[in-house]
This record gives sequence, C-alpha cells and structure tokens, in this order.
Amino acid sequence: MVYNINWFTFAVFEQILPVFILQILKKMTDKIPSPEESMSIISSMIQQTKHRVAPADIRVSVMWGIITIVTAIMVTILLLTMRDPVYNYGWFAIPVIGIPLNILIVRRSRTEKKVRTPIDRMSDRIWKIVGYTGLTLTAICVIFTLCDYKQAWLAMFYYAFIVVGLGASAQGAILQENSYIVGGVISVITGFCLIMATLIGVPLLVYWVMPLYIACFLLMFIVPAFIICRKYRKGMA
Amino acid sequence: MKELDPLLHSQLRLAVMSILMNVDEADFVYLKEKTEATAGNLSVQLDKLSSAGYITIEKGFVGKKTRTACRVTDLGREAFENYVAALRTYLNL
Repeated sequence: MVYNINWFTFAVFEQILPVFILQILKKMTDKIPSPEESMSIISSMIQQTKHRVAPADIRVSVMWGIITIVTAIMVTILLLTMRDPVYNYGWFAIPVIGIPLNILIVRRSRTEKKVRTPIDRMSDRIWKIVGYTGLTLTAICVIFTLCDYKQAWLAMFYYAFIVVGLGASAQGAILQENSYIVGGVISVITGFCLIMATLIGVPLLVYWVMPLYIACFLLMFIVPAFIICRKYRKGMA
Repeated sequence: MKELDPLLHSQLRLAVMSILMNVDEADFVYLKEKTEATAGNLSVQLDKLSSAGYITIEKGFVGKKTRTACRVTDLGREAFENYVAALRTYLNL
C-alpha cells in the first residue's frame, strides 16, 4: 500500500506534472521569427483582418429602409383612400419606431462584434450626419408649421431623396458595393428632378411621387442588402 | 542595418500588432481567434505590449459580459512602421 502511494506520488509529481508544466511553459514562451517569417506573419494577419461585409453590418440601414417603405405605403394608401392630409402625420412613425430600434440594434451589435474597423467608424459617421441632419430639418419644419407654413414639410421629401441618397452612395463607396452607389445616385437625381418639377410648377401628386419614393428606398437599401447577403453566402463579400 | 525592435520581433506580439494596425479596436476573443494563441500566452504578450506603450488595453463590460478591448497607440504605430522598414532592409526589399 505504501509502495502504491509512493508510486502514485512519484507518477504525479515527478512524471506527469513536470511534463504538464513544461507544456504550459512551452506555450508561454514566444518564438523569435526569422525576417521572412515576420513578413509572412504580417501579411497573413492583414489577410485575416480584411473586412468582409457581413449582413450584420447593414442591419441598421436595412431597418431604416424597411420602416420608411412600410410607412410610405401606409401613408399613400391612407391619403389616396381617405383624401385627408392629416394622414401625413403618419410620417412621424419613421423616427418614432426607427430611433428606439436603431438604439437596440446598435447595442446588440456592440456585444456581438469583436472588432471595430475603420469601415465601421466611417459608416457610423455617415449615417450620424444623415440622421442628425434629418432630425434638425424636422425640428425646423415643426417651427415652420407652428408659424402656419405647413408646405415647409416638402423639404423633408427632398431631404429623403438627396441627403439619404448621398448617404447611401457614400456607404457604397466605403463598402465597395456598387448597388448602394447606383441606388443612391438614382435617388439624388430623382430628388433634383422633383425640385425642378416644383420650380416649374408641376404639382407633386401622391399617386406618382410616392411610388417613386418607395422605389428609391428599395434601390438604396433593400436591393443592395439582398446583393450583399447573396455575396456573403457565396463568400464573395 | 537597422536593428529589429525586440518587442515586436516575436511571433505572437507581431501577429497582435499586425491585426491592431488594420482595425480600430479588437477585443481579446477576436485576437485569440485570429492568432490561435492560448489565453494565458496572449494575455502575457498583451501586457508586454501595453507596458511598452504600444497598445492600450481597456477592460469593461458589455451587458453582463467582460470585454477587453485593445487599440494600437501612436507610439505602437510608429514602432510597427519602423519594424517593417527594418524588415525590408533585412530582406532587401
């Protein structure tokens, strides 16, 4: 029995533990690479951190796109069936639903994301600029409405086409995704055409302006999202 | 010939610096995944880089989980650039 205990102690402390400690120490000791190895480490790490656009990266913009399109469809239906401009207040559904959802998605992605790239930073900045411009314009429009100039809200329409379009194009340039650029440019051009139409006295009627608005948002956010998801599945993004 | 910075001239520290040079911020789990290092080894090497002022380590919470975020400093960026320049002279590039 004594022999057995001694054998066990010997086995654990003299044979197994040193090997185990040695293994740990071996892992803790960092190897010195040759200059060639150093170069290959650097290039392989650069390759590994190369940013791939994942569907998670475009969740916020897709969310805003969907909310805007759904709201536009609802407002169009209400305006055409009820023929009462009071339903234009339905547009407030976009910030009321969008802002809390945006906060939720950003919070969730912070816990999920293990790395923050310059692309993330630039995209964030672009959409913050677009967002804060929109909020400021909304506040200005509210002031105009209080002064009894309700037609000032038309400026938000131009904003949606032009400023959001520029945002989508910039996003496309950063992500190197042409569908965003194309969608954004189409929206900007449409916005300027609407300004021209207003200046020459063509009335902006719900039945043709709203489908145009919905089509632009589809092209700016939903189509690129589908393309990115398809590329991601194929491992091309 | 320029001498290679001994602090960067090690497999794991160099891998970590190469990753951090490409991103704004990376957390411990990401670095562990990319370098395939053990947690203990990575932690030791991160501490060495942090002590030299090459990176900053920020420990915080995201929800209930702890998160260790690493960022390269200006000094680290400069050291890395010098290291690559020295490496080029060694390799005659």
